[in-house]
Amino acid sequence: MDEYSSSVCYTDFDDDGLETFKRYKPRSLDELASRTKFSKKEIQLIYQGFKQECPSGIVNEETFKHIYGQFFPFADTSSYAHLVFATFDLRASGCVTFEDFLLCLSTLCRGSIEDRLRWIFTLYDTKKSGKLTQEDFYVTIRAVYSLLGNVSSPRYDLDTIREHTASVFQRFDKLHHGYITMQDFMSFCLSDQTMVQSIDGLRTTV
Amino acid sequence: MASVAAWLPFARAAAIGWVPLAKNPLPPPPFRTPTHGVSPSSPSTSTTSVTATTVGERRCDEKIIINVSGRRFECWRSTLEKYPDSLLGSNEKEFFYDEDTREYFFDRDPDVFRVILNFYRTGKLHYPKHECIAAYDEELAFFGILPDIIGDCCYEDYRDRKRENTERLIDDRLHEDEDKIQPKPQSIRETMWRAFENPQVSTMASVFYYVTGFFIAVSVIANVLDTVACGPDPETGYPRSCGERFARQFFCLDTACVMIFTVEYFLRLYAAPDRLKFVRSVMSVIDVVAIMPYYIGLFMNQKGEVSGAFVTLRVFRVFRIFKFSRHSQGLRVLGYTLKSCASELGFLLFSLTMAIIIFATVIYYAEKSVVHTKFTSIPAAFWYTIVTMTTLGYGDMVPKTWAGKLVGGVCSLSGVLVIALPVPVIVSNFSRIYHQSQRADKMKAQRKARQTRIRLARNATSNAFVAAKKHREQHADDANSPADKNLVNPFELQHHHLLQCLELTTDREFVEMGPDALMNSGGRTSFTAGTNNMTGLSRFGSPSSRLLLNRRRWWCCGVRTRGKNSYKYSTDRANNNNNLNTDGNELDAELDDFQLPLALTPRASTTLLPQSTSTNVIQPQSTPIVGSSLQHDVVLHSNADEPLLPAGDRFDLNHPLDPEYRSLLSRKANSLSTVYEHGSGQDAALGYPTFLYAQKRTLMNKKHYHSECHVGNSPIVMLLVLTYMPYIVTQSILYLL
Repeated sequence: MDEYSSSVCYTDFDDDGLETFKRYKPRSLDELASRTKFSKKEIQLIYQGFKQECPSGIVNEETFKHIYGQFFPFADTSSYAHLVFATFDLRASGCVTFEDFLLCLSTLCRGSIEDRLRWIFTLYDTKKSGKLTQEDFYVTIRAVYSLLGNVSSPRYDLDTIREHTASVFQRFDKLHHGYITMQDFMSFCLSDQTMVQSIDGLRTTV
Repeated sequence: MASVAAWLPFARAAAIGWVPLAKNPLPPPPFRTPTHGVSPSSPSTSTTSVTATTVGERRCDEKIIINVSGRRFECWRSTLEKYPDSLLGSNEKEFFYDEDTREYFFDRDPDVFRVILNFYRTGKLHYPKHECIAAYDEELAFFGILPDIIGDCCYEDYRDRKRENTERLIDDRLHEDEDKIQPKPQSIRETMWRAFENPQVSTMASVFYYVTGFFIAVSVIANVLDTVACGPDPETGYPRSCGERFARQFFCLDTACVMIFTVEYFLRLYAAPDRLKFVRSVMSVIDVVAIMPYYIGLFMNQKGEVSGAFVTLRVFRVFRIFKFSRHSQGLRVLGYTLKSCASELGFLLFSLTMAIIIFATVIYYAEKSVVHTKFTSIPAAFWYTIVTMTTLGYGDMVPKTWAGKLVGGVCSLSGVLVIALPVPVIVSNFSRIYHQSQRADKMKAQRKARQTRIRLARNATSNAFVAAKKHREQHADDANSPADKNLVNPFELQHHHLLQCLELTTDREFVEMGPDALMNSGGRTSFTAGTNNMTGLSRFGSPSSRLLLNRRRWWCCGVRTRGKNSYKYSTDRANNNNNLNTDGNELDAELDDFQLPLALTPRASTTLLPQSTSTNVIQPQSTPIVGSSLQHDVVLHSNADEPLLPAGDRFDLNHPLDPEYRSLLSRKANSLSTVYEHGSGQDAALGYPTFLYAQKRTLMNKKHYHSECHVGNSPIVMLLVLTYMPYIVTQSILYLL
């Protein structure tokens, strides 16, 4: 009915409604175990969880955001999830297959500190330019703050975020180039012991 | 939903991106994570040896065991390999292979799995009729089977159910959009339009709605009474109608009604977003037809009832009754049904016409020979045929010859059949559409309540974190804390550690949410300095400007409580809570999505203080709940029907859980069918979300629900307006004339 006939709307549904869904399954378990640093049992566990959430074998960005949202109550996870998704989506296709997911997870959980720092650099480098500017930092920091939602105290606003960005950028950009390359980033982080320890602290047992 | 827990490692891994940005150094991990000495080479060597043997085994057919949630199915490997594109037929099932028990374990529904396995065996996929279509689709997607290979025997049923479900989803999404996208109306036009479409929006709109309804009724009644005989004409002695006797009064009344209708029509025209579309819509045409006769009558000379055109115009006045369809949903449903059953009605009409012509012709020729017959021509015989076929039988035309009587008999019998055939189709269409509209109304009412519940559940997660933090701080130097750590759920520990890292990165702290925040919270926040305005719309929140209205709606429109599958009441509880109904199941389903951290928290926390009975908050169902804090009694959704996965197994292969704890957990899981929780102040320290649950309970206790809440004191206002406005209008017209 047209919108002028008040609230209830009825739709006539014809029989072409079956959606085709893409189904993707990964290659063999053994191959994955050899390519990544997980054991077979761990891969099994990860895959079981993965498949439960995404039976079709592919994660898209929406599902990513939804999953993130489960861990951070009241957060608006879309921005941070978008950044993370971009790093996982190795082929920039909008879908992450289980293999991509597992490879990235292997780097993150079991990789060397350099690999992880490299991943962090890619995470920040939203424009894929190879250099980090203050804008990149701002975007990332804003995304991290949005994970808090509004249940935090003291409250934050855009100014807080800008301050935070400026202070972090000062710390990194020792030579005041205005941008940070991968080498600078890595060398700076490796020299900072607390940072290395913190990164190690976020290892999870699977 | 335990799969969410499986994603925690991913969430934590992604969190290393915060490290360079952190203002403060991040805390150490919750428990010692052993460095994984598993070199990449060792798994592969072991697997290669395994594969060597299994390859050999695969040559000859072997029976494989599939364990689906405890039910064991066995089949030949070759059976499964018939369909290599599916999960079971390919090597994807190796991901689910359990080395210790040498079987494939799937944590899915065993009943649906039976159907799926039958598909492998017989080649035909059936759809069990008692199964929910969404659950079935999910299972098919999981096992990688496309639904369009469902066998012919079950295909129709499947399509019908699927179609209904999709319609329902579309409806829901539409209504969700409607509810969501309601920004503050930009202009008077938009406000007016919203008031016209949704009379419950404001008092003025309701008033307008009832006033127009009243005037439509008045106008129609006046039309009817216009023709009633009112006593003899004093001059001629003939009886005359009331319309003639009280011509002036009727004219005033008519004028008043038409004025109101005209004003209403022009207001709607002004407010309509798309005027052209509005003008072409059905209701607008009805409006115009209702008021045009009056104006045409004004411009014509008053010739009395002589001119036929004038009479026709009067007839059109009766179309005003169709304006009621804006007020009555049933009428709209009827109209829509007729529209959607157009083909059936067309068929009915066509077949009737065919039959009428046939029978009329035959009876005309049969009765032609009779002297002074009434059947003077075939069209004249049409009347007889129609009257006979619809079994009216006025008796003004009767066949006299025996042939004619025979034809007449056949005619009446066939009439019954032809008319009875399409009628059930129309009736079922009407019923379906009517129920759809009923359900849409009900859903709208429950949607707000549902969203509250979702918000509550999310709230509880964050509060659990804050409470656990407080507890940790309080018991930091307590000698018991290492022991506690062992007993608390590792998932929860790691999740809390993750949230802690976030806190330290941003130098903020999570706080407990009060009841006010219930209404304020949502996804997006706006970044205005220092305030917590919610601009824009989150998934669940609403603009703060509409908060007041929404708050009233929530607290007066409660939700029916439910879940006879989830809640089993002890007698004490029943006595205390005789308000609770036990039907409907949406609460559980909603909370299901968010129950993982929640369900684990209380269960795990029971073992924190297994001995202290004074504040022991979770008791199995057998013991009655005593204590003065009964009024804080809270019911949590219990998913005790699902076996609680021993969390240790899932998360840390190198850090096994205390076997005692594990058995305790499994015992609790099996024995508990309801999880109760006392809420009181000191329990916050133990990690229980407290007063929020009491609030949830209050919401759940409200037994009644009604689909729309009327705002404010409108009935009184309406009554006043209704009594005085027509009086004022008619008086003013009389004064003017």
